[in-house]
Amino acid sequence: MDMPGGAFEGESHRPAQSYWNESWERLRANRIGVAAGVLLLVFALIALAAPLFSQFVTHFDPTRQHLLDNFRPPGRPYLLGTDELGRDTLTRLIYGGRVTLGVAFLTVALSLSLGSTVGLLAGYYGGWLDDVLMRIVDVFLAIPAIFLFILMSILFRPNAITLAAIIASVGWGGVARLVRGEVLSVKQRDFILAARTIGARDVRVIFRHLLPNVLPVLIVAASLGVGQIILIEAALDFLGLGIQPPTPSWGNMLTNAESYFFHSTWLVVFPGITIFLTVLASNIFGNAVRDAFDPRLK
Amino acid sequence: MSGDEDVEQKGFEQFQRFLDEWSRRDFLKGLGATGAWFAFSAGVVEFLDACASASTTTSQTGKKGGHVVEGAFSDVRTFNSMLSSDTASNQVLGLMFDGLLNSKKNGDLVGALAQDLPKTSSDGLTYTFKLRPNLKWSDGQPLTADDVVFTYQLGYDPQYKDFASPRRGDLSKYIASVTAPDPQTVVVTTTQVFAPFLVSHGQYGILPKHVLGSLSGKDLNTAPFNSAPTVSNGAFKFVSWQSGQQVTLARNDTYWAGPALLDQYIYKVLPDSTTVADQLKTGEIDIGPVDPSQFDSVKASGNTNIIEFPVAIFDFYAYNLDPTKLGGKLFAQKEVRQALVYALDRQSWVQAIYFGHASVATSVEPPTSWAFKAKPQVVYTFDVAKANSLLDGAGWVKGSDGIRVKDGLPLRFEMHTNAGNKQRESILQVMQQSWKDIGVDATPKLIQFPQLVTEIVSTRTFDVFLVGFSWGQDPDESPLFHSRNAAPGGFNGADFKNADVDATLDAALTTLDQNKRKQLYYHFQDVMSDQVPAPILMFNKGIWATSKRVMAADFGTYNQFGNRPWMKDVWVTDGK
Amino acid sequence: MLVKFIVRRLFASVVVVLGVTAVTLFLMDRTRGAYVPGIDLNPALRPEDIARLRADLGLDQPFYVWYVNWLWNVMHGDFGRSMIDGSPVMTHILERLPNTLELTLTAVLIGIVLSVPLGVIGALRRGTKTDHSLTIFSVAGFAVPQFWLGLMLILIFSVTFEHNGWPWLPSGGVTSPFGGGDLGDRLLHLIMPATVLSFFYLSLWSRFTRSSMLEVLSQDYIRTARAKGMSERRVVYLHGLRNALIPLVTLIGLELPGLVSGGLVVEVVFSWPGLGRLAFERALQYDYTTVMGVVFFTTLLVVAGNLLADILYAILDPRIRYA
Repeated sequence: MDMPGGAFEGESHRPAQSYWNESWERLRANRIGVAAGVLLLVFALIALAAPLFSQFVTHFDPTRQHLLDNFRPPGRPYLLGTDELGRDTLTRLIYGGRVTLGVAFLTVALSLSLGSTVGLLAGYYGGWLDDVLMRIVDVFLAIPAIFLFILMSILFRPNAITLAAIIASVGWGGVARLVRGEVLSVKQRDFILAARTIGARDVRVIFRHLLPNVLPVLIVAASLGVGQIILIEAALDFLGLGIQPPTPSWGNMLTNAESYFFHSTWLVVFPGITIFLTVLASNIFGNAVRDAFDPRLK
Repeated sequence: MSGDEDVEQKGFEQFQRFLDEWSRRDFLKGLGATGAWFAFSAGVVEFLDACASASTTTSQTGKKGGHVVEGAFSDVRTFNSMLSSDTASNQVLGLMFDGLLNSKKNGDLVGALAQDLPKTSSDGLTYTFKLRPNLKWSDGQPLTADDVVFTYQLGYDPQYKDFASPRRGDLSKYIASVTAPDPQTVVVTTTQVFAPFLVSHGQYGILPKHVLGSLSGKDLNTAPFNSAPTVSNGAFKFVSWQSGQQVTLARNDTYWAGPALLDQYIYKVLPDSTTVADQLKTGEIDIGPVDPSQFDSVKASGNTNIIEFPVAIFDFYAYNLDPTKLGGKLFAQKEVRQALVYALDRQSWVQAIYFGHASVATSVEPPTSWAFKAKPQVVYTFDVAKANSLLDGAGWVKGSDGIRVKDGLPLRFEMHTNAGNKQRESILQVMQQSWKDIGVDATPKLIQFPQLVTEIVSTRTFDVFLVGFSWGQDPDESPLFHSRNAAPGGFNGADFKNADVDATLDAALTTLDQNKRKQLYYHFQDVMSDQVPAPILMFNKGIWATSKRVMAADFGTYNQFGNRPWMKDVWVTDGK
Repeated sequence: MLVKFIVRRLFASVVVVLGVTAVTLFLMDRTRGAYVPGIDLNPALRPEDIARLRADLGLDQPFYVWYVNWLWNVMHGDFGRSMIDGSPVMTHILERLPNTLELTLTAVLIGIVLSVPLGVIGALRRGTKTDHSLTIFSVAGFAVPQFWLGLMLILIFSVTFEHNGWPWLPSGGVTSPFGGGDLGDRLLHLIMPATVLSFFYLSLWSRFTRSSMLEVLSQDYIRTARAKGMSERRVVYLHGLRNALIPLVTLIGLELPGLVSGGLVVEVVFSWPGLGRLAFERALQYDYTTVMGVVFFTTLLVVAGNLLADILYAILDPRIRYA
């Protein structure tokens, strides 16, 4: 993805500014993209406010069982029904969102921080540092990701936080490469050379000039990443390795429900739709951001 | 007692059920073992001997020809009867290699390669078997007593000490000698009177000396025969094994009981019970075990006949009673152990967790056993008040956070079970909740099956574990409860050491008088119900589905997996 | 320069393979504790038996010693034997590799065959409802968990179809257990898993084709072609598509190394006897040697694939050699 250096060379020492404004306008014009972004935000907020929801809306605890009330269809008082142990689906869905989205956002945060740091350093300094860092990245990228997740999950049986760390440990490599590529293409631009000529310190150059130009790539990666991680978490749950019961997550709710598909189909429907909508939204939003910040597609 | 590895062979085979639970997302697989069930089994559809049964035996005469595909959860590991210890291997090799004896579905022993049950000497130490005349291997070679002697030697004779047989521990303990005074006679002498000897050690598939006899013990471990048997003496012979996919067997025309009706038997490996259920519905497999959660949907599809019967397979949990561990401090008092059982509403689990296909265990013996005592000394009903009062009385007082504490130690621990078994995962969560309500903080933790096994058998790094197990045809329960099995390597993971129980179990093993044994086992059940080191929670049901074209499949309590003398009579209506 | 580049890359690849296998072993070693692989096969082990087994398997050595031994054997082509049943690891790998490749290559094929038209139509009808729906469709395919999609398809095309008496698809395995094995049978078994797997590629590639097509169509030489009076059809397909596809080929090439491991979940859902499923099941049983063997093999392929791609790039674009 090229950066539009040429058109802005005559500008002040902050060439990124109006590029941002233009792109932001483009993004806002993409109504579906915006809607997707809003959906993500709404889900995240609901998940954050899970205890409030449980207290005021559903009146259930996510792990409290009502064995005699199991497999109830949606209705009163279980708005979306109950699962095999009589736990309220809606409450679990909200708390599960906390776990799943929490894992997703945490993973993204971790892998973006590590990946962009490595990418910035490698791209900016080049030379042997670049070689060494990129070789390390290569190792992590070469491991078939799913194998690594499985191995780690078998060995550590993670909770939400360690799961995020595990997934991030594989994902950061891609981010590093991406960022490094961006840095390499921006590095040669005049404004960078200008800044260095006047004696700006490396740190300043990196943070004030390189990083803003790399940011769009990161936003796209983050947005798409959230969706991917939700799917990975679901896959791990399917393999029996994800978030441990009784803690709910969207993935383990879906997997659990599969065994009872014929018995109580709606148990599959709700987590399934939730995952689908969230991942869809993250994909759409990510693509919208990418489109908005890529002027080639005028 | 160091160096003591005494695990009854039967307990061993039962452990294969225990072990077999490892496969991912494997729900209760309906493990079978050898055992005895009797007419008082809780009114479920039963298969009685020979005469009319619900579905598969009919008055039609069997048609020759065709194949069946059976779905199962685990791949086989070996076809060598002296190396195998898992259900899958035993099941498939059992179709190719008969032993001296076999079992009927009610657990009674019948003669297989041996014409009949052996003559037992008056001192109970010597068994004399008479082989059937004109036994042949599938390559035409005669099967004689030498083959039998050879097979058993693999398990106990020092010349084969490099052969890694799981049977070695038991066989070297109990067998003094195995000889063949003439080609039709086998004489087995035991070192001591051992009541379950025939049941535990009389049913091993006999291996061909003329094929394997020249190999050393070490080479036998990796012999090609173990993964591709060239000859067999059972109803079927080996055709092919695609690892991870299927094993194909074909009819053996030289079988002593007459050639089977089927041309081919195929054992197909499937990942989990949902797949098995799906394939039963589509007809991609003809026979398969049904998980309780799939029962209704398989039945509703209308493509199969479903059989359900009581089995000696159960779910139980155990307290770690080792005084040096946390469990030892928490669970030393029997009042605590009892209270935790009183707090469980197991009757509600029957429907909620097992969909009606299980029964609450009232004793450590299964209801199918001749030694079963329905109402032992302590009968555990669901009684929260009693649970609370027992704990209060034992000095465990509820703290401000609701968790009971004694001498500064909170009643807080972890419960381990293996990931992939739905019933057990549910049980752990229900137990967590039930115990929370009486002030006990228990956290469930799912781990992989091999890890669980290691913890139970070797490292004992658990507070409480929950797992499945099964009893064999004999009521002896030493593998779980005798103190000698508390040493590393034994299944007495709870580290339960009770002199009374030890003495009772030992006495019951060394007499052949069934009445005397029954009295001893009654006493045993009483003590166990009072001490509850490892409460047995629920006894499961064996549930099997066969497609409508399959006839004469005669599943029963002790005819589920390794013992299937009826397989040779199975036929298919369409002859395909 | 090219030779130097290749040598550096080769060296880097070796480092990568070593790194990956070492990391794998380290992870397995970290957590096995006192576990002995195969203990579930033989629980009646006395402490001295356990000690002997661990010594035999080399588990009492520090993991780097074990690693070096293993590496030495691998160099000689000996991948060792499974710790669980003693069967040779190489045999398992060779048995399963064709199955995995069959599955993933078919998925790639389906992906290509469907992505190109979808992408082109999207580009040509940019901004219209068609474009939007196609985008949603391809994005949607990317938004469902693979296992869920697989299970749903089985439910519909196997169980429900069969129940209603319609022609139905088999729900798993490579071939029918009895009487199967011919090409038709294999294809029937292949359809569903390959389709599920292809959704992943489909979403990626159709969007990429679309944007690539759009970029190409905005180029000057396209305008020239149109100005010259060339028919729209020729412009689009002859010039536009051909050039748009080149980057797509690169993208597809990037996927090739991942072919060997990418199908794991699908393999599990459809009981497909592939490498991914093998590694997974053996990892659950702590069967070190098999897992190491599969990981090594897979990584080797990935790295070789990357190496090849890098070399090709270097040949095509001289700038890269100096990077």
